[in-house]
Order: sequence, then C-alpha cells, then structure tokens
Amino acid sequence: MSEIGATMLAWTLPAVMAALAIATALGIVRLIRGPSMPDHVVALDLIGTIFAGVITVYAIRVDEPVYIYASLVLGLVLFLGTVAIGYFLERRAAR
Amino acid sequence: MSLFAANLVLAILWGLTTENFSVMNLLIGYLVSLGVLVFVRRALGDSHYFRDITEVLALVWFFVKELFLANIRMARYTLSPLRKLRPGIVAVPMDFMTDAEITLLANLITLTPGTLSIDVSRDKRTLYVHVMDIADADAVRREIKHGFEARVLRAAR
Amino acid sequence: MKDIIVSLLLWAGAIFTLLGALGTLRMPDLYTRLQASTKAGTLGVSCIMVAAALHFMDLAVAVRAVLVVAFLFLTAPVAAHIIARAAHFTRVPLWSRNIIDELGDTRRNAKAADAPPPPESLVTEAGRAPDERRERS
Repeated sequence: MSEIGATMLAWTLPAVMAALAIATALGIVRLIRGPSMPDHVVALDLIGTIFAGVITVYAIRVDEPVYIYASLVLGLVLFLGTVAIGYFLERRAAR
Repeated sequence: MSLFAANLVLAILWGLTTENFSVMNLLIGYLVSLGVLVFVRRALGDSHYFRDITEVLALVWFFVKELFLANIRMARYTLSPLRKLRPGIVAVPMDFMTDAEITLLANLITLTPGTLSIDVSRDKRTLYVHVMDIADADAVRREIKHGFEARVLRAAR
Repeated sequence: MKDIIVSLLLWAGAIFTLLGALGTLRMPDLYTRLQASTKAGTLGVSCIMVAAALHFMDLAVAVRAVLVVAFLFLTAPVAAHIIARAAHFTRVPLWSRNIIDELGDTRRNAKAADAPPPPESLVTEAGRAPDERRERS
C-alpha cells in the first residue's frame, strides 16, 4: 500500500508543478494584456498566490519544511501590497 | 465567557503538570479540559459556551463547504460559453451589525458561489454585491439576507 | 495511504488553481476575473497547504500551514473587496452585457440629488435605492 502511495506521490509532484507553471503562464498573459490598472493588480496577486503554492509543493518535494515559512511571508507581503495599491488608486481618483 | 477563562486555566494547568508548554500540548490540554467541562456542565448550569463553540465550528464548516461549491461553479462558468453569464451589482440591505460582523459577512459572501462583495454604504446598512449570474435580483437579495446574514448573526451573538 | 491522500489534495489544489487562472484569463471584465482568481487562489493554496501539513506530520509545520490557510481565508476576500471597490470608484468599465449596477445607480443618484451631497442625504439615498428600483421594475 505504501509502495503505491510513494509511486503516486513521485508522479504527482512534477505533474502538479507543471500545472502550476501553466497557471502562472496564464496569469502572465493576463498581466500583460489586462487593460486597466486593477486588472494588472489582480493578475499579479494571482501569480503571487500560485507562487506560494509552488513553494509549498517544492517543500514537499525536497522534504524540507523550512520553505513553508517562505510561503507564509509571501502571503503577508502580497496582501499588504494589494491593500497599498487599492488605497493608492482610490486616493488618486478622489483628487 | 467565564467558562472560557476556566477552560484556559485548566489548559495551563495541564501544561504545568505535563511540564511542556508547546502549542500542541496546550491544545491537547484545552481539548481535554473542554471535555471535562462538557462532562460537568450540568453542575455548572451555563451551556452558553458550548453552544457558541458548536456555532463557530458549524460556521467554519459552512465556509469550507461553500468554498468548494464556489470553485466548482466557477469552473463551470469558466468552461461554458460566456454568453450564458448575466453578471451585475446588486444592493443588499443589512440589519444593524458591528464592524466585525460586517467583515465576516462580506468575507463569507466573497468566498461563496458566484458572489463578491464590493462596497458598504456609509451608514453600514447596504452591502453592494457583484453576482455572476442574476436570474432575479430580489431572489439574490433574499438569499443573502436570510441565508448568510442570519447565519453570521447566530454565530457572532 | 498517507501519500495517496497527499497526492489527491495536491491534485485538487493544482486543478482548482489552473481553472482559476484560466478563468482570470477568459472572463470578460474585471469583476468576473476577480471572482475567478480570488476563489481559485484561496482554495488551491489551502489544499496544497493541508497536503504539506499531512506530508510532514510535524506539529510546527501543521501550525504554520493552518496559520497560512486561516490568513488566506481572511485576507483574500478583503484584498478582492479593496480592488473591486477601487476599480468601481475609478470607473473601470463593467462588461457590456452586465444587466444591473445598483452601486453605480446609487452614486449617480447621490450626485444628481444635490452637489456637493451632505452625508445624511447620501445615507438615505443609499438606503432607499433598492426599494425604488423594485417599484420601478
């Protein structure tokens, strides 16, 4: 049973990495194309969130839990960035 | 609330007696003392605390379930032709709520199928919600008002 | 057994994230895109985090993973809310086939009623807007 599981995990990790890479590529297309400023922000936010996932998958792959801290910090920084940009957009429009 | 304090004190006592203050051990102590408190609840004569815990757990479970449903429905919108969408922004009247309750309600709405909260009016009585597929704006209003708002109020009070 | 559950969770996370990214690319206007990216990002990363917690079977890791998930559940909707609000405020256009925009209606009514609007009149206008709409339709 554990043999099957180990094999399955060994196949799953690269495939999941590939899926997340495709998702990042789609996000980058939206980032380049997005007509308005908030569209760019949404695309960047999505890419950052996907990256938090990529880091975690990598942590599982190399069996090194320390990397999970990185995704925690990435999540925090992303949120602050989004809030700052939203605030900036509203202030600029109000003037 | 006093039962919650008693629960915390019991958890700290558990940490003292097992000489281990790691998060896991304190969590185990909390759960064990919660079990003890449930066991003696009839003698204490105040079951408010246990009902609160059940309500909060039910809300968390509801959150997770709705998030799964939201993603499945979103996937269906993504993969079907765009002309089937009927998006729009609907105003939902709210009862009087505290800021924390409004935040909880807005988050819940954003993570549930096909809806996204956009703005709160200045008097905090109206919530503007973006909906992916509106068949009937009044039905949407009713659903949010009686489904989510009631649930949030029950868990928060 | 543990590895199988971890694999399934990772697959779920990857598929939801991929669909969300596809939705973000395909949807017609900012608000619909925001719906796709917020929900998919939250659920996708949450699934992967739970998978990591299960894989390492370590308390410190599990606490961090739960922390990340709780943080995501709290902040992703707030971030989406801020961006959507700023976008509507800066008049990012809605899709041409949008059927109703009561926030825009309220704002226009408030502006038409009296410029500059004192806060109280704005408040009553906002509170009454949905009812007026119902009578009209």
